Amino acid sequence: MNNPFAGDNSSIQRRETLARWLLRLGSYVVVALTVSIFLFITVKGLPHALKPGFLTELTSTLHVIESNDGQVFKTNPVEADVIKKQLGDNFRSEKTISYSGGGILGPIVGTALLVIVSVTVALFLGVCCAIYLSEYAKKGKFLETVRLAILNLAGVPSVVFGLFGLGAFVLTAPVLTDAPADRAIFVIPLFFTNLSFQGWDTCVLSGGFTLAFVILPVIITASEQCLQAVPQGFRETSMALGATRWQTIWRSVLPFATPGILTSTILGIARAAGETAPIMFTAALAFKDKLPWQKDLPPLPADAGMFAHWEQSVQRFLGVFTESVQALPYHIYTLAAKIPQNEYSEQAQYGSVFVFLILVASLAATSIWLRIHLRKKYKW
Amino acid sequence: MPESPSSTKPAPVVRIHDMDFCYGSKTALHDINLEVEYHRVTALIGPSGCGKSTLLRCINRMNDRVVGARVSKGEILVKGKNIHDADVDLTQLRKQVGMVFQKSNPFPKTIYENVAYGLRVHGVKDKIAIDEAVQRALTQAALWDELKDRLHDHALGLSGGQQQRLCIARAIATMPDVLLMDEPCSALDPIATLKIEELITQLARDYTVVIVTHNMQQAVRVSDFTAFLHLGKLVEFAPTEELFTNPREKLTDSYLRGTFS
Repeated sequence: MNNPFAGDNSSIQRRETLARWLLRLGSYVVVALTVSIFLFITVKGLPHALKPGFLTELTSTLHVIESNDGQVFKTNPVEADVIKKQLGDNFRSEKTISYSGGGILGPIVGTALLVIVSVTVALFLGVCCAIYLSEYAKKGKFLETVRLAILNLAGVPSVVFGLFGLGAFVLTAPVLTDAPADRAIFVIPLFFTNLSFQGWDTCVLSGGFTLAFVILPVIITASEQCLQAVPQGFRETSMALGATRWQTIWRSVLPFATPGILTSTILGIARAAGETAPIMFTAALAFKDKLPWQKDLPPLPADAGMFAHWEQSVQRFLGVFTESVQALPYHIYTLAAKIPQNEYSEQAQYGSVFVFLILVASLAATSIWLRIHLRKKYKW
Repeated sequence: MPESPSSTKPAPVVRIHDMDFCYGSKTALHDINLEVEYHRVTALIGPSGCGKSTLLRCINRMNDRVVGARVSKGEILVKGKNIHDADVDLTQLRKQVGMVFQKSNPFPKTIYENVAYGLRVHGVKDKIAIDEAVQRALTQAALWDELKDRLHDHALGLSGGQQQRLCIARAIATMPDVLLMDEPCSALDPIATLKIEELITQLARDYTVVIVTHNMQQAVRVSDFTAFLHLGKLVEFAPTEELFTNPREKLTDSYLRGTFS
């Protein structure tokens, strides 16, 4: 007897083949796009990125000097004067292209500082929040509201974070000062000094805190998932042995969630390093001719003791966080938004993009390596 | 009594009086009365969902973790002290009443650290004291000879039966008065089960054991007393031999015959 369910097998097979190829094609397109972006940036940016001093010099204005006999000199403002003098009558023309000369040490240092501050803040707040949500909070209305808030936070456009940072950290955040500024919103006198709500100005601290809020949702969500992935049995056993809730978290939950939390943190770093809008109003400068720690402090008297030297070092270190800085994404934006574009600004731009891409790619690679390494150590 | 009655019989370690227990509005245990004898093995048997695990978890208040779960009537006394009194420290109660779970679940740490866990959370810092406690616990759990040279190996490298005995060692390292066991053999093969059963009999020399089991033969083999629960009620509680050979209640009889399960 014929099986009534034996349909037309060839058409089923055709559809199977079609579906497989469609899915395969989709994957190939994604890979092709990624590879072509990388290739494009590498071809355009690698030659410039390899130029001596690109990674070790500060940004400067590029001077392009042409002589009558067709020589072209690309140099910095100081050497430009020397060359002009040497050329004498041979000098024909000089072009200046701002931000396109020198290297990108300033932006690299600035981005590193912003990332350090933002990850420190976001990791602390995020892990605290995740532990509370996962281990302490009772399931109910409140928890749902908090989760919804986190989800919404993730959807906020980054420029809004920038404006929030401007309002909250640059203009309002409290500082301890003996002499409150006139613009302070209000001042709480303490007996030895004042707590003045006058903001932190545009600086690494303001930018770092703003970026922290950008990556907070990622860190909270990922950390909570990592905590939830730790078997319930560990908690139950630990409590049954007489451990308090905190002892249980500290000894039997957090260690096993750490690999995942670190992985998500590194992805958060990549995100924080790449954001432009949140730092535009809070930390970043288009141009700065000094590194954050190259600040003029009053010279110490010759007989200054150890303590004075130590104090000044601390001051110099802390001062780093209250300086505004150049940052890689904002530097790229500055170069790209420069009108008119020319070959020199374009070179500087793609050079920076290439360096930035390598930085992000190596962070991602670190996160993968870390995950593999830690999983081996803390498997269950 | 399975043994000759003695005039200096120690007081029951756990005493449960007219206890009702509910999850929210649903009462899971009705009017439970149970006395757990000193250094004896008491088995809780009954069909699935009869409340035997819930009853076990009442004794160290593990049910506190469940939202809405509470003892709504009656009391539980451990060594004469009501465990729901306001001045009871939960961590001390759980030091007094240890527990072994159905699924062997050693921490992904070394064998040594697993056994030392309870001591560490109770603030024991003295290395020698911990070493001694680890050796004693592993010896009592019949693991010392097998594992004494690999104390710092990862616990997850052990076999299933060894892992469960390690969990027992971990639970007795803090020298609890009572050891609760929630179907400790249900995930083990017959040989590992046999070893655990032998161990339980030995443990009764130093500890008072309450064991939940779905295996009636196991109850016969390891326990001195058996409580039969059905639908949240304690139907019959008697010395094991008596309960299995000559049950007083019809319900017990039909359960033991397998008329229902």
